[in-house]
Amino acid sequence: MMSPAPEDRDALAMEYAVGLLEAHSARIEEMMEDDPVLFSCVRHWRQHFTELDMTVLPFSPSAGLWRRVEESVMQFRPEAAPIRHRTSNTNSLWQNLPLWRWTALAAGAASLLLVFGLTAQILQTPSPAIMVAVLQQDDGKPGAIVEALADGSVRLIPLQQINVPRGRALQVWTKRNDVEGPISVGLLDQARTLRLDLGQLPTPGSGQLFEITLEPETGSPTGRPTGPILMKGLTADTL
Amino acid sequence: MQTALAISGYKRLPLYTPSLAVYSSRLISRELANESAALMKPSLSFSKPAYSAAFDYDAALTACASGDSRALKALYDVEAPRMLGVAMRLLKRQSLAEDAVHDAFVNIWSKAASFNTDLGGGRGWMYAILRNRALNMLRGEDRIDFTDDLESFGLTSEDENPEDAMSRMSDASALRRCLQTLDEPKRNAIVLAYMHGLSHGELAGKLGVPLGTMKSWIRRGLLALKECLG
Repeated sequence: MMSPAPEDRDALAMEYAVGLLEAHSARIEEMMEDDPVLFSCVRHWRQHFTELDMTVLPFSPSAGLWRRVEESVMQFRPEAAPIRHRTSNTNSLWQNLPLWRWTALAAGAASLLLVFGLTAQILQTPSPAIMVAVLQQDDGKPGAIVEALADGSVRLIPLQQINVPRGRALQVWTKRNDVEGPISVGLLDQARTLRLDLGQLPTPGSGQLFEITLEPETGSPTGRPTGPILMKGLTADTL
Repeated sequence: MQTALAISGYKRLPLYTPSLAVYSSRLISRELANESAALMKPSLSFSKPAYSAAFDYDAALTACASGDSRALKALYDVEAPRMLGVAMRLLKRQSLAEDAVHDAFVNIWSKAASFNTDLGGGRGWMYAILRNRALNMLRGEDRIDFTDDLESFGLTSEDENPEDAMSRMSDASALRRCLQTLDEPKRNAIVLAYMHGLSHGELAGKLGVPLGTMKSWIRRGLLALKECLG
């Protein structure tokens, strides 16, 4: 970051010293490390404003506060640790408030993770497919699968890589009957698993046609398939 | 021998070393300071702050840097009540304010080696650490703690208003002299922002002016202070 102009430094330092820079304070602290002038400006204004701190009515701390400080401070005293371990190891560990705090936090976090993990797993347990269509390419190879799941969702799972020319897209259609004709249920830029949007359509029935055509990037302009059919297939009930 | 040291409480701290005589001799009377701190309950008013001018903060911080926790205790005894008062101004609740003071002393201890004794101003350095911590608690991740206690966020105690705080400033204070040259709204805004950690928006709400006006008051007020303080 660039250093601010000298007159701006003072303004910045004053606002920071008063405590008005809120979200920017971390950035100012970074800047101070590289900018000795800003550092001394902040120092200068802090010294002035500290006079306001000196007007405070003192409050007697709780009796246990120093003990808390002392115990936390012990964490930063490597030279003291061996003595404590040799003397009253169990006791000092038991009374190590920061240690137990962190342990409790870690345990809490672990439980939360477990809850999230289990929930995710339960949610991800696949719903059984009730209807499947294997879409075949011209050469008879299976190109993709459409499956309708018990939870009402329908998804397309490609089995073959499809080269989609630039400016074109793959459009998925379904046709329930000749009167209604093909209805667009999805558009994708490349072969990938896609949750199909059947909108108001009911869950696919047996013998319902699904097909994928090559269309302009934004989908067929007419609302009906206009490009070549890449693959198609009919749904069948699963056992 | 070591067992005896450990089970007799305070004795597990290093013994008071002769090097500490540097700052302890300048401390006119720590017992006196303790006594006055204990007497200064928030309900009691007093006319002038009890500056611990005789205490050598810089020497105590240097001793902390060399690992002497008795020096930290000395700093705590002299300064903790006032630091708790400052934290209370910002955080309102004593439990939160004590957390801030706790964290501040842990930081003071762990950062003591980075304190530049050439520059001096050890006490200001300690308050900067405290205020940073308390302001972070006020605005940062701990803010959720305040949701059940929003009422206490306002100015609840009479002794916390800006004029009272000003009147307790030392007569020799350049900041006091310069604050008095500002017109009242600007002075109040700056003093409230500092004492209570209020943002521009909170100040605007509290003093009943638009946000733009408040920002302009603060900016012009600080500019005038800068001119005055040089």
